[in-house]
Amino acid sequence: MAQMMFFHYVHKNAILHNMDGRIKVFCMVLMSLATSLAVNVLDFTILTCVVFMALLVSKLPMISLVKDMKFFMFLIIFVFIMNSLSIKGEPIPNFPIKSVSIEGVTAGLLFAWRLILIIMICSIVTGTTSLLVFKKVIEWYLRPIPFISETRVSTMINLTFLLIPVILDQYTEMSNAQTARCVESRKNPIKRVMFIAVPLLSNTLRKTDELIYAMESRCYSEERTRALFKVNPLDWIVLTTSILAVTLVIIL
Amino acid sequence: MPILEVQHLTHIFPDGTVAIEDINLKIEPREFVVIAGSNGSGKTVFIRHLNGLLSPTKGKVFIDDEPIVKNIVNARKKIGMIFQDSDSQIVGQTVKEDVAFGPENLNLPPEDVDRLVQKSLQSVGLEEYATQDPHVLSGGQKRKLAVAGVLAMKPKIIVFDEPFTGLDYPGIVQVLKQILLLHEKGHTIIVVTHELEKVLAHANRLIIIHKGKLVENGLPSDVIGNSERYGVKMPLRANEGVETLTWLK
Repeated sequence: MAQMMFFHYVHKNAILHNMDGRIKVFCMVLMSLATSLAVNVLDFTILTCVVFMALLVSKLPMISLVKDMKFFMFLIIFVFIMNSLSIKGEPIPNFPIKSVSIEGVTAGLLFAWRLILIIMICSIVTGTTSLLVFKKVIEWYLRPIPFISETRVSTMINLTFLLIPVILDQYTEMSNAQTARCVESRKNPIKRVMFIAVPLLSNTLRKTDELIYAMESRCYSEERTRALFKVNPLDWIVLTTSILAVTLVIIL
Repeated sequence: MPILEVQHLTHIFPDGTVAIEDINLKIEPREFVVIAGSNGSGKTVFIRHLNGLLSPTKGKVFIDDEPIVKNIVNARKKIGMIFQDSDSQIVGQTVKEDVAFGPENLNLPPEDVDRLVQKSLQSVGLEEYATQDPHVLSGGQKRKLAVAGVLAMKPKIIVFDEPFTGLDYPGIVQVLKQILLLHEKGHTIIVVTHELEKVLAHANRLIIIHKGKLVENGLPSDVIGNSERYGVKMPLRANEGVETLTWLK
């Protein structure tokens, strides 16, 4: 999974990469909403065209993204089968399983199509937006909400993303060290989990402690310099396209 | 007037362990001080009092004649601290973002933050890595990044806690050159280490902490002969003069 292109930022000098993060995330919400509201083939076709255009201008490696779709194949097929079996309707002539209806298969196909579109929308946004920009966008959107410290939330998100690879590295190291000492010969799975979990937790807490000291010594404060955003004319075009797509899906 | 003064500094942990006891010290501007001591001698606990990361049980720390407790943010601006584990002090997802962390905490205008980041990265020679993930840098580069993060806050004193731990030979040379450059530029340098052979040739003063007490404080050439008494290995060829110990050609 580590080699997946999905949900990984790919640094490029493309229109979507240079967009104002706030508008990009808003467009993602609009497009996801439109995908959820889509009911017929025409709606899905419009959305697919928009997503395909976005994919083209994003300059993301399209072949890798299509190849990586195999990671979601199980989920997509599962959704298709469940829909095909659960929705009642006219049975398919000459098909051995009677509970599979034409309506069910259609709904299953549309649902799978919806899933693929949502995965692609998320991939395009995450592939063209760095975590730093995401952090700033979250901060900006949370700012008007009372009783929530936007800086604290964004710092927490930032630190979570920072600590995950550190924890995973430690897990790998500890796991290898225990394997080298024949941990497999222990039959009790709970004990084996405990052998990893306890030192991992204690190490993580120690690392967190160090991180807190490092942040404190660099004057950590919630009254921080605020991010600056710049809206380009192209951003408005992308936003208009997204609004148009939602409107068309609702009207048609 | 000393830039840093420590008076009767004592720290006792809640379980009763005495980490440091009655430490008195004065450091003049532009000095290059090495603080040595065996593992668990109290070196790290001591330096964490210098910018108020730990509060003493007894005693005071003064920077520019002002107690640090009076203005802790000011103390942290004046004393930059480079921790032993570079990985655990990285808070940004890119090199640039990590360096910007300090100035942003000071709520400086974005253009000032950018200027400081640019300048700090240039000072340590990491400007070409600005948009990279800090975790992919080499050990020496990570220490340089930590230095850049500290420089962006314009400190007068820079404290290095075990700066050579875990580095290969080129990494050590890289960090050592960086420390010397900072000293040349007028910063007061405090290096905490037990690897004296790597840095002592460049220091003005050697301090040894043993079992929480400051036991030696003087010219490196005067103190080095006693170091092994306190569990700090005396470098080979130290008898030929500490200035010959340099790792730089």
